[in-house]
Amino acid sequence: MRLVRTASLLVPWSRRQEWLLEWEGELAHRISRLERTGRLDAPAAAAIFTRTLGAFPHALWVLHDETSVETMIHDIRYAIRTHLRRPAFATLVVATLGLGIGANTAMFSIVNSVLIEPLPYERPEELVYLFGAFQGGNTASISPADFVDYRARQTVFSSLAAGTVWGSAVLSGSGEPERVTAAIASANFFATLGVEPLLGRAFLPDEERGYQHDVVILSHGLWQRRFASRPDIVGTTMRIDERPHTVVGVLPPMPDTTFDAQVWRPVAFGAEGWTIRRFHTLRAVGRLAPGVTLTRAQRQLDVIAKQLERVYPENESWKLRLVPYRDIVVGDVGRTLVVLLGAVGLVLLIACGNVASLLLARATARTGEMAVRTSLGASRWRLVRQLLTEGFTLGLTAGAAGLAVAYCLVRGVRAIGAGIVPRLAELGIDQTALVFTFVLSLVTSLVFGLAPALRAARGEVAAALKSLGRVSAGGQRTRQALVISQVAASFVLLIVSGLLIRSFWQLQRVAPGFDPSGVFTAEIVLPPTRFETRAAIDRFWATFTERVRGIPGVESVAATTMLPLRGGGDTYFYVDGRPPASDAEKMNALVSVVTDDYFKTMRMAVKGGRTFTRADRADGPGVMVINEGLARRLFPGGNAVGKRLIVDFGTPFAGEIVGVVNDVRTSGQANPAPDTMYFSLRQPAAGWVFSTRLVARVSGDETAIAPHVRAVLRQLDPDLPLASVESMDEILAGSVRDVRFRARLLSAFAAAALLLAVMGLYAILAHSVTQRTRELGVRMALGARSAEVFRLVTGEGMLLVAAGVALGLALSFAATRLVRGLLFEVSQTDLQVFAVVTVTLLGSGLAACLLPARRATRVPAMDALRSE
Amino acid sequence: MAERPPPRPRPLSLSAVAVLGAIANEIRHGFDIMDATGLPSGTVYPVLGRLERDGYVRARWESPATAQEEKRPPRRYYWVTASGARALASSIEHYRTLGGRFSLGASPEPVPE
Repeated sequence: MRLVRTASLLVPWSRRQEWLLEWEGELAHRISRLERTGRLDAPAAAAIFTRTLGAFPHALWVLHDETSVETMIHDIRYAIRTHLRRPAFATLVVATLGLGIGANTAMFSIVNSVLIEPLPYERPEELVYLFGAFQGGNTASISPADFVDYRARQTVFSSLAAGTVWGSAVLSGSGEPERVTAAIASANFFATLGVEPLLGRAFLPDEERGYQHDVVILSHGLWQRRFASRPDIVGTTMRIDERPHTVVGVLPPMPDTTFDAQVWRPVAFGAEGWTIRRFHTLRAVGRLAPGVTLTRAQRQLDVIAKQLERVYPENESWKLRLVPYRDIVVGDVGRTLVVLLGAVGLVLLIACGNVASLLLARATARTGEMAVRTSLGASRWRLVRQLLTEGFTLGLTAGAAGLAVAYCLVRGVRAIGAGIVPRLAELGIDQTALVFTFVLSLVTSLVFGLAPALRAARGEVAAALKSLGRVSAGGQRTRQALVISQVAASFVLLIVSGLLIRSFWQLQRVAPGFDPSGVFTAEIVLPPTRFETRAAIDRFWATFTERVRGIPGVESVAATTMLPLRGGGDTYFYVDGRPPASDAEKMNALVSVVTDDYFKTMRMAVKGGRTFTRADRADGPGVMVINEGLARRLFPGGNAVGKRLIVDFGTPFAGEIVGVVNDVRTSGQANPAPDTMYFSLRQPAAGWVFSTRLVARVSGDETAIAPHVRAVLRQLDPDLPLASVESMDEILAGSVRDVRFRARLLSAFAAAALLLAVMGLYAILAHSVTQRTRELGVRMALGARSAEVFRLVTGEGMLLVAAGVALGLALSFAATRLVRGLLFEVSQTDLQVFAVVTVTLLGSGLAACLLPARRATRVPAMDALRSE
Repeated sequence: MAERPPPRPRPLSLSAVAVLGAIANEIRHGFDIMDATGLPSGTVYPVLGRLERDGYVRARWESPATAQEEKRPPRRYYWVTASGARALASSIEHYRTLGGRFSLGASPEPVPE
């Protein structure tokens, strides 16, 4: 007996009980018979023992049989035949799951390539980004002088480099002059990132010492496009901002767009103007030395900051803050993606719920079949296994369908998400995602395959046989729970997307502070070699704007160094006579240098005083215009006009406030209007002018004047390119683009969720009506009116919907907390959104109830009774 | 066009024929089949399992009442299905012709059933 029990351990659990019983039955029978006849002697005992040894090969055989490919193939073939017999059911399941899995895979691919996969750099975890910041203040760049000191003193980085995308440069010499994005970098910049030049070399340490080295490294894109991937480009000369530069290298495609430039030149540490410590221009990237943690590196940087502070008073409270490089690349999109992933996960759960509900309904219908098969001798395990195989084949097919869906979705997201989601170029359905889908489809199929299988395994054979074709209360309850959770999940999704859609509307309704319609903009960069003085720049713009005004349709023309919604540079200032006593009192504001007609062209409102006129001469007293918010903050209750501010442009500039204009949302629609100081282009000491934007108000189609403007420019100066031609409306649309992207994607998912939930509700009600045909028929036969039956069925459905809505309401309060940061001027418990979603769900639920309810009222009493 | 012979199922193994034959002769329990066929338990049970899987035999438990009377656990008994009977007949036929074809001349006796 003990031998048999030992052997039984080899038998798979599912068959062990039966296996053991058979052996024990035979042995006990044989022994008792021998005992009864008194023949249980030694040879007989030995024979029994030998026979018992056969339990081991038998057990091994069962083990092998259970796991044999043959049995599996048999099961799979049977499962496929079963599915083919009910193609509508199989198609529905595969489509539902396929959609859910597809959406999940696509989202996983995005999240994976943006968030989870390491940056495509060598040992990316070592890369850090350095922000300059005042104590507790916002983030800024680093001055070249500070950078050199830090680099010399630090020991925590194996390499510390700096670079910055430095506006633009004009490339000329061969072919049309072209404006390209330009960047400067320290010699070790590319080595720090781990980027090897494709051709030629990186910069040499000697080349970062000043402007005497006119060398340039080209981006991969520029080299391919403008120079047709010439292999002999290194060593050739081209003109950049009118100066000849020698090409020393060509970069491979950069792994991310943090430093996205077309031409790279060496940083000119030590050159004139580069020693000002307040001139925060560089972005620093470091590679931590092996074994150094972020905290330890930060501690050392703080120590260096203190040392520098003692030597240079202007460095007071100035520190460097370390951030993992990955955070810079991924940025704020991370949260959006997590929210989307959650949304998609919910959709998949709903889809699974639907499929489970479908399968449960079918299991009920098949209870009879199972019972018959059991009584014919099929073991329970065989049935469970068969049902699981059916689930698996469905799940795998759905997985394949999901992969196809994911492929299409990823392509779509690549198309609409370009420029919003970082590192999108790397996006594809990668192997991780493939494995993920596979696991997902298996888990899903197991989850929904299990419920019916368990019911079958419980094998309430007798009960099942008795109740052939009748409802089982247990299954019904499970399905009701499923519908409730589906409604709840789609409620949450609808709430979240509703809030995001409202944010989007709010954003679009925000008055930007200017009239964007009919405004044409374009950028012109005046090379400093030819436009050395402010007077030269001013002369150019005076002539150019005059000529543009001559183009038919143009009403008003101006130039500005800072376009609304595009952000800009800022500087420190103080009210004349009230210099800051400490850093805490330091104030800064954005700087915009404009021509006289700027405010008129943008249709901004003058709230006090005047704007610039010809009377504000280059050699006259300094003048400036400030925005309303700043005026209110500086001179609460008083009049700002006539007051003087001292502004730090390297050298202090004293300007009298001659006017106050309305606030403009300069740094993006979602952000409040920042403080802004406007200066006249004519006054040489006021502000910096690197690149300037033309703004022209046009009656009619503003984009149509582009060729005319280009012609005017060519006439005036054939070497200057017209770049970044955009209408102000486009810029405005661009500033709400990522909000729109989020709102659109989530709405799509919410719509899918709603559809699936409604489908689920419909399915369960329709099924319930079918199952209750007899009861309903009896009711009708006993005189119940159709209206009553209608109410009965509808009421049953709506009870589920109401329960789902209540559950969803509770969950929503938790879920909306996650998206709070993505909302704009919408409360996370916005009453309107909650009301609309509740009504929508109740309405859709009612719609799902109507058809089954109508059918219920049509049940002829005779049919119902016959169906018994 | 030559007429194709109807597809013939693969013949059962000799031990399967022996076991199936025993069950067809109303020897229904595992140990009794071993006694009747002389095959060891390590052969008989796997053969039974295979026959059951392929639907040639079915198994049932004897009624608990009978077992209780004899104060022992119930035994499992087997019987041959219709397809099992067909397979048995065609397999016996197969081995018979095979035996005829390879009769070595010396002993032209028919193969015993």
